[in-house]
Amino acid sequence: MSQTNLGENRMSGAFVVSARKRTIQKGMKFAGEGLLFAIASFVAVVVLFIFFFVARDAIPFFQLRGFAEFFTSTSWYPADAPGEFGALAIIYGSAMVTVGSALIAVPLGVAAAICLSDVLPFSVRQYAKPVIEMLAAIPSVAYGFFALVIFAPLLQNFGGPIMMWAWWLIAGPFMILAVIVLADLLTSKDGEQQSGTNVKRVVLSILFSIIALGFLYWVGMSLNAIQVMTGTNALNVSIILSFMALPTIVSVSEDSLQAVGRELREGSYALGATRAETIVKTVLPAASSGILAAVILGIMRALGETMVVWMASGNSSHIPDPWYNYLDSIRTLTATIAGDMGEADQVTGSARYHVLFAMGLLLLIFSFISNLVSERIVVRQRKILSGQ
Amino acid sequence: MNLGTRKILDRSFTAVGVTSIVLMALALLVVLVPIISGGLKALFFQGTIEHRQLVYNEFGRGDREELERQKEQSQEARRPVFAMLDAFDAELEGMEPAERREYRSQYNHVRDVLHDMLGPLPGDIEPLLLRFQYGNTRWEQAEESLHDLLYVTKWDYSNPNVMAEKYFTPRVDEFQGTALAPLFAYVETHLEEMLLPQPEFYWGFITDRSLDAHIFGGIWAEIQGTFYLAMGAMLFAFPLGVIAAIYFTEYAKDNFLTSMLRSANSTLAGVPSIVFGLFGLAFFINTVKVSESKSVLAGSLTLAIMVLPTIIRAAEEAILAVPKTYREASLGLGATKWRTIVTVILPAALPGIITGAIISLGRAAGETAPIIFTAAVSVGATIGLADVFTEPTPALSWNIYNLASEHEAANEIRHVQYGMVLSLISIVLLLNMSAILLRARISKKLKG
Repeated sequence: MSQTNLGENRMSGAFVVSARKRTIQKGMKFAGEGLLFAIASFVAVVVLFIFFFVARDAIPFFQLRGFAEFFTSTSWYPADAPGEFGALAIIYGSAMVTVGSALIAVPLGVAAAICLSDVLPFSVRQYAKPVIEMLAAIPSVAYGFFALVIFAPLLQNFGGPIMMWAWWLIAGPFMILAVIVLADLLTSKDGEQQSGTNVKRVVLSILFSIIALGFLYWVGMSLNAIQVMTGTNALNVSIILSFMALPTIVSVSEDSLQAVGRELREGSYALGATRAETIVKTVLPAASSGILAAVILGIMRALGETMVVWMASGNSSHIPDPWYNYLDSIRTLTATIAGDMGEADQVTGSARYHVLFAMGLLLLIFSFISNLVSERIVVRQRKILSGQ
Repeated sequence: MNLGTRKILDRSFTAVGVTSIVLMALALLVVLVPIISGGLKALFFQGTIEHRQLVYNEFGRGDREELERQKEQSQEARRPVFAMLDAFDAELEGMEPAERREYRSQYNHVRDVLHDMLGPLPGDIEPLLLRFQYGNTRWEQAEESLHDLLYVTKWDYSNPNVMAEKYFTPRVDEFQGTALAPLFAYVETHLEEMLLPQPEFYWGFITDRSLDAHIFGGIWAEIQGTFYLAMGAMLFAFPLGVIAAIYFTEYAKDNFLTSMLRSANSTLAGVPSIVFGLFGLAFFINTVKVSESKSVLAGSLTLAIMVLPTIIRAAEEAILAVPKTYREASLGLGATKWRTIVTVILPAALPGIITGAIISLGRAAGETAPIIFTAAVSVGATIGLADVFTEPTPALSWNIYNLASEHEAANEIRHVQYGMVLSLISIVLLLNMSAILLRARISKKLKG
């Protein structure tokens, strides 16, 4: 490159260069840096272009049909003449699977991140990391295939028992903990140890255990009795999407947990807190904003995912009845774009074509806002932590 | 709170963390194990004589004499079946019209199943589609056909509260007393002699072209398409990404403009993949018109934009990881900044940059949504390197979707779908694995 020569020139002729030559050198350097800058700003240009071109094809839809129908109606019949373009049920479907996957992935992901950053020794961590990376690397269409061909039939045939077992395995241990803590809290209220405390605690424990067991059994049985009508439903998609959101949540929250300094932890330990108390009362609050950023990024991953929802959500455009029924088929924005473009592509210029871009614009705006928010959060946390 | 309780809570807190990591590993296993075991069945299976004949006729592979011998052998076993069919045909001719009609639909079904199993029966018109020219090429399919032949599927609607239950009755009951009755028992006992199953290793699954919309043959066209798309994307994204990373790490000043550019980078990383597809369609195909309609070029460009932020980030990290002393030594020897970057920093950062590039390559190979509108077609032949500017291509990711959700015989070609998923996952995971190993080596080297 010219700049390489330029450097040699300056070396050899540092004492003899004329003013004119120096100007040329400076100009060349400037041009080189300008070129680099131009390439680096290519990304920004691309972002602007994406917004421009998606919006350019989205706006005609709103001109043709207005905003009200798109956001408030649930009748989606784009192929009819004249078509109906109520996307409310589709937007709701997107929200539903996103919330569902977040409900699964956030507790799991944050717990895993805590474990990776504070609990596991380094040697074990080295084996856990590749697992997370592999979960992130598996292509979305492979997850979709798994959801459609393997998981959906399983859910359809054994949905009730599967949910019952999941309930027992997840809620069981937590119930035991709750009983122990509750009994403890109720007996040690007075502060000092009394002679009757232990007896009281045992009695209370037994009492609570019976109540908890009854509750577990009742919920388990009602879950077991549920007949799953179709395996391609919101629950299926939420579970698979949570697998896909997990790596993002784990790695970003782990970074933020690591960013909380050693001093905070040591201070807490010195005051006699256990590890759990240190993490819950000291580390998590300090890292909370970073974890929030992680959650936002994970949610975006689930909201923007196409293949899994397209293959395994059932693609039926209606709001489930009742509204929280995760065992019903739904349809999402991404799946609608992917699925309807094949037919709408032939009729470029129609509302049917532009409505898909309107959906794309909606997704784009959403992802843009959440990205900005999460970025702002991370920057602020870094500032606060480094300020201390 | 009691100290004992606090200890229990602490332990269970640890347990929750460990459990969640174990759950993630389990999730990985639950996804991978069925895909691997199902995918291997596309390569290793009990192949029938029909399979060997198909491979010989279409791809010219196989031992001709051995094939002729086996064909003779299986024909020998099939002859009684054909004789029974002929006998029943003659019997039908002699029946009353009403009685004949009654047998007719049942008999047609028997003939259809036998056709599926053994290929065209004597007296059938030579079929046009390849899928009707051969019988069951895989033994497990033949066994399913056999079950279909031997039993009639019926549904029990007696209990209105639950879904109808399936049950089977022997088909032979319908033909009791006719010349067709012995056929069922004969086929049941002689199926193996008629189809001669033997273990096959069908490596051609990877390298053969597909036949009759993936009902037979391999997936070479898809693998090649995936390769073109991913490599094309890297061709555009890699140089751009590395140069941008150089700018960000070496030249960018800490000002508003730079932070805007960084923001743009993370925004691009967060754009949903389907929106990239929309953009590719609206910009590359409808506006710039890089090609008439879908093409590998348009798909590669779209994928390139998608992986660009990942490459930039990885390259930035790799460049920042180069020790400061390298830079200072080079500058101290009188090299210019640009010379230092090209001859000292980039070579030192190269393994890290390549790690990022490999991971991006895997991501580009696995993505589906961006290529749906820009590059992918469901049926297509392999395309030459010269056609990438104008022609669309089949690709693994898209065809997995297409075969699993839209193919007319999706249930019969599960093995092809599994094989494709396994191929795609192997490509992606092997790339990732090599990236992980490479990174481990780098960190060892940097530690000294």
